[in-house]
Amino acid sequence: MMIPLLEKARLLSLTETEQEILDYLEKNITIVTYIGLSDLSAKLYTSNATIVRFCQKLGLKGYHEFKFQIRSELEQLSNPTLTAGRLLPLSAARFRDNAEAMDTEKLNQIAELLTSGRPVYIYGSSLSSIPAKYLQIVLTTLDYPSILIEWQRLLNGLIYGISGGSVLLAITAHGDAPRYLPVFKKAREQGILTILLTCDEDSPLIPYSTVSLCTNDENREYRHVDVNPRIGILTIIQILIDLAAQKRNREKAD
Amino acid sequence: MVTLHLDDDVIRSLSDNELNILKYVYTHAEDIVHISIHEMAKQVSYSTATILRFCKKLGYSGFSEFKYALAAAIRRSPAPPAPAKPANLDTQMILEQICSHIESTSHLILDKQLEQVFHIFDDNCRIYLYSPGGITATLIDYFEKMLFSIGRQNVYKIESVRMGEHILRNFPEASAWILISTTGSFPHTARLARLARMNNVPVISITPYTNNTIADLADINFRFFTRQREYQDAEFTSRLPVFYVISTIFQCYLEYRRSAPWLTPVEENK
Repeated sequence: MMIPLLEKARLLSLTETEQEILDYLEKNITIVTYIGLSDLSAKLYTSNATIVRFCQKLGLKGYHEFKFQIRSELEQLSNPTLTAGRLLPLSAARFRDNAEAMDTEKLNQIAELLTSGRPVYIYGSSLSSIPAKYLQIVLTTLDYPSILIEWQRLLNGLIYGISGGSVLLAITAHGDAPRYLPVFKKAREQGILTILLTCDEDSPLIPYSTVSLCTNDENREYRHVDVNPRIGILTIIQILIDLAAQKRNREKAD
Repeated sequence: MVTLHLDDDVIRSLSDNELNILKYVYTHAEDIVHISIHEMAKQVSYSTATILRFCKKLGYSGFSEFKYALAAAIRRSPAPPAPAKPANLDTQMILEQICSHIESTSHLILDKQLEQVFHIFDDNCRIYLYSPGGITATLIDYFEKMLFSIGRQNVYKIESVRMGEHILRNFPEASAWILISTTGSFPHTARLARLARMNNVPVISITPYTNNTIADLADINFRFFTRQREYQDAEFTSRLPVFYVISTIFQCYLEYRRSAPWLTPVEENK
């Protein structure tokens, strides 16, 4: 079977270990579609970091993206016509990948911050305002009040008045995150706890945020318009909602 | 996960009990292929007769043939990933439930439905979305924003049911409606669905997998799995499966546009 991605790997200069990884993958490529990173490194008697480096050499961000790429290339080989039917299992697979890569400790930490009784501000503009609004409405339903901000300029101004110890949850999918840098710097100065939800692993805001979570949503454009559906971010929001609801139920039971 | 290709007509014909069985099948496919109809009946707490009727409605001669088809479907789909380490049990359970609802929902989306929706997107008709307020309003906003993002013109969000009725009565021609309901029976939304049907206006709806009024009235109906939840009379049922359905519709649409750019009158920018 000719997998384009592995063909590409053949052309790169690889270390001995990476060569072994490639040999193994060529013989057993189908297992990649369902095996986790740790299990694969155990099978190859190597470390997770080595495999991740191998994926990065191929120009990918990490193992999850590699897995996704292989999955779609395999799908394409077995079914060359592009139909929606091909895409459905793929997007379900991506959904699960994203859910499994989720850092549960961070999720709990964020849920705790949102329900701690501190003042909570939730920010998201354009398409990111959807998950922001969803979180805000449901938190209100659960009697955890919060303030929704959908305008960037409002956030820029408001940040000066927000007191230390408050929580600011900001959703920004994009790579154009630098425009929020002043806000995050100011927040840090004032002792505001910042939570960042993004799809950009290299977001410059990460070092300035108290907690950050990254999803596998693709920042895609169609005719220069943002069409990233942010389903990964919406998933994080749903988990935060469920954690908050659990806490409410526990408190009610006590 | 398995895929049983079920027609919306088949799903419509299923009773609530049978839909519960279907949900159980999707979440326990691997176990079911090894058990007898009696064990199955015990597990789902329905009679063997109900299970048999369920199999027949799906087009199989009986439980054995159904199991056989199920086993074949399992072989076609890749093995499930190894479960993650139980670092935090509560969060893991939440994640597992979310994934299972999404995967079951994903199986209910059919190529045929998507084609019909794309047809409406590509047509120049007016698209109306009814926003009933509350959490569902966020779903309508999402649908609306995504329509704008793909460059669809003639998209109108209506926030008052009387305004909706007025439009449906007076300008039914060359329009389509998008209705979303988490229960499938919200009175205002159901009223618009009924009015649309009376005036031959096509309706795209997103409703739960249970039998419901709005789904029965809609021309194209997407279904989703979820659990109804309330907190002191305020509901906060998870909307994630609906978000997922909407995002899937648009992802598939963009893919379809990419694969057949000659169908679009406007030139695509690279």
